[in-house]
Amino acid sequence: MHSTQLKMLNDLQALEFTTFDFHLYLDTHPNDQRALAEYARAHCEAERVKDMYTASFGPLTAEDSINQPCWRWIEEPWPWEINY
Amino acid sequence: MWHYEKKLQYPAKVGKADLKMAKYLITQYGGPDGELGAALRYLNQRYTMPTGQSKGVLNDIGTEELAHLEIIATLVYQLTKDACVDELKAVDLGGHYADHDRALFYVDATGNPWTAAYIQAKGDPVADLHEDMAAEEKARATYQWLIDLTDDPDLKDTLNFLRVREIVHFQRFGETLDLIQEFQNSKHVF
Amino acid sequence: MEAATQMCMRLAQAYVPFQIFTNRWDPMKALMMGTVFPELYRPYHSKKC
Repeated sequence: MHSTQLKMLNDLQALEFTTFDFHLYLDTHPNDQRALAEYARAHCEAERVKDMYTASFGPLTAEDSINQPCWRWIEEPWPWEINY
Repeated sequence: MWHYEKKLQYPAKVGKADLKMAKYLITQYGGPDGELGAALRYLNQRYTMPTGQSKGVLNDIGTEELAHLEIIATLVYQLTKDACVDELKAVDLGGHYADHDRALFYVDATGNPWTAAYIQAKGDPVADLHEDMAAEEKARATYQWLIDLTDDPDLKDTLNFLRVREIVHFQRFGETLDLIQEFQNSKHVF
Repeated sequence: MEAATQMCMRLAQAYVPFQIFTNRWDPMKALMMGTVFPELYRPYHSKKC
């Protein structure tokens, strides 16, 4: 995998991971307004990078395979095959 | 229901072909304190949790454990995919090869298959959360021993990520226990 | 645990203190460390003989 693609994937991993850690925190602190705001911010940024990744390199979810000339969802590499 | 994103939660990599590690790592795939057990335990317990909050935590941590299962699988896959049969025999993976070639399987480090006897669902939320907290501590300890077993810094990084996740899970289960106990005490449940 | 609960801790019951979100790491550091919350991080010092 090209280093540009790997870098963008890594950025997305970092943003989605951040979102998820706030998600788990909110499961036990549902009224923490600061955490809610951090979650929203991280999620928005993650979505932005995911869209950029999809546009440049192909879909990370089945739904993002639409508007493509073929069903790109099944393209390789799959996650366990990537050499970071 | 589940949604799959074609991406590992963490950029798991193996720096060198430390094939012996594959034999030890498999315990976190299908062993007693591994990620499969964790995922199935939490996802099964969630059905009978008494509050939305506890259902949420069991659901979400159970789901994250599936992502960790995928990371362990990736490590083992990467370690074994280019190994030749003689190399596998040399690290005592000949038995596994005879049964599975290089396919992964839900076994512990000595080849015993995964069993539901590794998990419990007592139906009592306090008992179940204590089991969950114990499971997280056992998994954390196992990751520490796996870190000790390898010299590969990339592998250590991935194992440490998984180790820290167990600490965070313990914290969330602990908070859930507190909320459940408050909930039960307010209902005068004994 | 929540302040109210602290006043009435019961016997034969376990308690884990509630985290109060104070600081956070940036996303790349969070991914490397394993959590976005510095207060939850605990390093492991490998014990080789």
